[in-house]
Amino acid sequence: MIQALKSFSDRFLGRGEAAITVPPMDGALKPNRLIEDAEILATFDAPEDLATDGKSLLIADGRRVLRWQNGAGVEIATFDRPVTALACAADGSLIVALDGQQIRRADGQSWNAANGKPFVAINALSVGADGTIYATDGSKENPPEKWVHDLMGLGRSGRAIAIPAAGEPGEIASGLEYAFGIAAAGNEIWVSESWRHRVLSLTSNGGKGRPVVDRLPGYPSRLTPAAGGGFWLSVFITRTQLVEFVLRERDYRTRMMKEIDPRYWVSPALTSGNTFLEPMQGAHIKTMGILKPWAPPRSYGLVVRLAPDGLLRYSLHSRVDGKNHGVVAAIEIDGALYMLAKGPRRLLRISVQDVERSVQA
Amino acid sequence: MSDTLTRLRYKYWPDHLLGEILSKRWTETGVPVIVLLIVGFVLSRLLDGFFAPAILADTARQASEIGFIVFGMALVMIVGGIDLSVGSMFALTNFFALYLMHVLAWPVAAAVPATLVFGAALGAVNGILVGFFRLRAFITTLITLIIYRAVYDLLIFDYSTQIAGGFPDSKVWDFLGTGELYGIPTVAFVYVALAIFGHVFLTRLRPGWHITAIGGSRRSAYNSGIAVRRTITMCYVASGMLSALGGVFFASRLATVGGDIGVGLEVLVLTAAVLGGISLGGGNGSVTKAVVGTLIVLLITNSLVSLSVPGGVNRMVLAGILLLAAVIDIRWLKNRHRIISKVYVAPNYHDMPELPSTAPDSGTAWAQNDKLRNVSAIGLGEIEAPEDVILDRHDNLYAGSRHGDIIRFFPPDYKRHEVYAHIGGQPLGMAFDREDNLYVCIGGMGLYRITPDRKVEKATDETNRSWNSVTDDSRLRLADDLDIADDGRIFFSEATVRYEMHEWPVDGLEARGNGRIICYDPKTNSTHTAVRGLKFPNGICIAGDGQSIFFAETFGCSVKRYWFDGPKKGKVEMVMENLPGYPDNINISSDGHYWLAMVGMRCPALDLAWRMPGFRKRMAKRVPVDEWLFPNINTGCVIKFNEKGEVLESLWDLGGVNHPMITSMREHKGYLYLGGILNNRIGRYKLEGADPNFVQYDLRWGKLS
Repeated sequence: MIQALKSFSDRFLGRGEAAITVPPMDGALKPNRLIEDAEILATFDAPEDLATDGKSLLIADGRRVLRWQNGAGVEIATFDRPVTALACAADGSLIVALDGQQIRRADGQSWNAANGKPFVAINALSVGADGTIYATDGSKENPPEKWVHDLMGLGRSGRAIAIPAAGEPGEIASGLEYAFGIAAAGNEIWVSESWRHRVLSLTSNGGKGRPVVDRLPGYPSRLTPAAGGGFWLSVFITRTQLVEFVLRERDYRTRMMKEIDPRYWVSPALTSGNTFLEPMQGAHIKTMGILKPWAPPRSYGLVVRLAPDGLLRYSLHSRVDGKNHGVVAAIEIDGALYMLAKGPRRLLRISVQDVERSVQA
Repeated sequence: MSDTLTRLRYKYWPDHLLGEILSKRWTETGVPVIVLLIVGFVLSRLLDGFFAPAILADTARQASEIGFIVFGMALVMIVGGIDLSVGSMFALTNFFALYLMHVLAWPVAAAVPATLVFGAALGAVNGILVGFFRLRAFITTLITLIIYRAVYDLLIFDYSTQIAGGFPDSKVWDFLGTGELYGIPTVAFVYVALAIFGHVFLTRLRPGWHITAIGGSRRSAYNSGIAVRRTITMCYVASGMLSALGGVFFASRLATVGGDIGVGLEVLVLTAAVLGGISLGGGNGSVTKAVVGTLIVLLITNSLVSLSVPGGVNRMVLAGILLLAAVIDIRWLKNRHRIISKVYVAPNYHDMPELPSTAPDSGTAWAQNDKLRNVSAIGLGEIEAPEDVILDRHDNLYAGSRHGDIIRFFPPDYKRHEVYAHIGGQPLGMAFDREDNLYVCIGGMGLYRITPDRKVEKATDETNRSWNSVTDDSRLRLADDLDIADDGRIFFSEATVRYEMHEWPVDGLEARGNGRIICYDPKTNSTHTAVRGLKFPNGICIAGDGQSIFFAETFGCSVKRYWFDGPKKGKVEMVMENLPGYPDNINISSDGHYWLAMVGMRCPALDLAWRMPGFRKRMAKRVPVDEWLFPNINTGCVIKFNEKGEVLESLWDLGGVNHPMITSMREHKGYLYLGGILNNRIGRYKLEGADPNFVQYDLRWGKLS
């Protein structure tokens, strides 16, 4: 009863769960132009994920997997369906997710379901020290490319999956508000729960998990280990008050999803500013020929460096006036950070040393 | 189905009126008046003979006596203080009047002025202490309350028997106390007269304004040269004098010096003032509020007495009302602007047919292209916000700037420029008349004229007030674009009557017909409104027949035609509807057609929101303006249409790199000049195949340069 009254008064006054406030980009999230100014290595047709065998960079591009060699991508494998996630086992062999529905190991072994429920949106893979394969299945309803439907449909059917070296896949968490990104952290497993703007730490024996990163101003995605401990977290889209507001407006949201082309929804996107059919917000008006970089981001580029305890250390940005938006993967190899900006379909590189020098300055 | 209901609900229920009514100052008086009517109605049902003439006359006597004191209290409160000693002053002046009449047997003509002077002296003690010595009003008047009361107690101990024994033989004195004219007590006439004077004094006379100003902000009042100390002192003097006036009438009516006279009167008076809506914080109050508050309090206390409620309960009720009124007063004053700003915005149902395609492969005249990609920029970084551009008959190029100037660029390369005239407001639409006067619509100011010798003159800044609008719509808020008819009459659009120029997005959010078209006749120097209820009317252009104008409705996404002369006089017809963008200025082209600037393009998300007023209302409340869903005005285009409303061609700059926004265009000698209100440049585009000798105002006024 009290809960019902509170939720009513919250909705009436715009407080509590009904509040549309978004945490500011401040402190460790203070904006810079590091992603925007990063070196552009290549542009691909349909890049999805990055991985490394410890020595070189692997790129999932459409149905192909490429190895980055001498400034170009060399095809090392092709599959019958698009690759939606990519990882490397300790021996350097590939593990891929195909069309979100299947996880396949290099030896041909594959899995299509966990706990009796088929995979729908496998969007991230990683391998633990003991050879366990970890995966996130974003949603029960929406395949990986329809993530925006899941966000605007208030999806909460994501799950984290573990496949032991010898054994069958099992859920280690379910009912997540979109799971996108997973990595082993010692005895625990960290999972990005995107629509709740947080990273959860789970133990392999289940349980609810505890948030290690919370209240992000964006929606987190894949996690990769960083040299010197901690992780790189790519935040693939960012929050705006308008989207938060629309998420709480049931009638508008359902009509929008029914009547309007998803490209023109009031929603975050991997890229923006391409057509006037996209919704425009007040601060987006070009004044004296300039688009303000601090305008509410429909698309944004953001990678966060996490300390081993989950604290935010610093971040790399491509702001609203930039192009390198929608970074879905960031991976560190030999002191260089490779990033995949899915918006412009670009592979970017920046020296970690340069980044640390720049953010300390 | 539910869409139909929404549409009807927003068509017939005037949501926008609530905010307009609340933003009127008189609503603050309106609430106490409504309370008074309710109290009067309830009491008349509860008590028999509530409206009997005798009872009414008695109520009027009491109301007037206390009313004088409430006036005094109101004055002191408006100036920012409080006077707690009114009860004691009332008692003391009552005694003084009776002493003069009964014991010393003075004539009325001497006793009454003497009493008033005595009251003024009592008030002056407060006034000097508070005004000149700057003691706290509360503590000072609390002390004088005690002192005056003590003096009164000592005096009645000595003289009460003498006063009771005396009997002044004066008809005038009796007439003051119990006399009537046409059944109305004498005192009530004095009260009404004083109320009228008080109203004039506070609202129309300089000292009254000074009092309000001091209460509103003492420091500002001092800085603007008002004699703060003297004015405050005089308010306390007036309070003492008005208490004395009450005392005189009370004395003449009852001739008693009982020990409880005036005890607790300050609470009654304070309650009346606060309940009427006179703010405890100062700077806000009126005579009407004082009168209404007095009546409410008196009706309640009197009815409680006649219901035989014990005195304690009576006072408790009074204190309760005071507390409640004070809380409401403080909270309302603090939140008034927030409440009004929340209810003022009233989105309307605005249904647009399906968005027509402008895709490059759509095969229509609208198909997007890159024709404007190689527009050259004039005055890049040197001019800001040229909403409209215009060329005179000697090839000079004029444009407005947001600094309130008209800038003139010189031919042939338009690299040199000068400030042609300074007006002070944002110049919007422009047109030359037959005598080469440049008429300019200035946002927030009205219609202005710059003569050929550069003199700036105001043409008009007001029109006739419409009888059915709550807000005063006679002032021009956002004169936008204009054109001039053959006989010199000027037709100009006013985009909205509810918002200022910089608030145009709020008007877009409302999507109600808030705009109008106004006609100014320079021959008679008169202005009248021609068409009302338009959705952000913008561009205006005289049609080829000289009897009508084309006008664009920006948020209506349409172009209409209005006949001001000829057989169709007064009619409005649709020319182009369901445009894929937001139309802005219209001008003639060299081939007899019309150029139309599209300032922005529609997007499906906003089209949907326009069908959901509740969504937009909540958005206006919850989301900051910078994050609102806006009409997209970053990309636009120029189209050419003919009199039938057919689109002949369109010119686009897709990326918006070279020329982000287009609010106007003007053809001149084979080039098209482009203006944009948020741009820092003027665009110049070479028209293929256009008449290289076309000069708009040569053609328009039949001249040759």
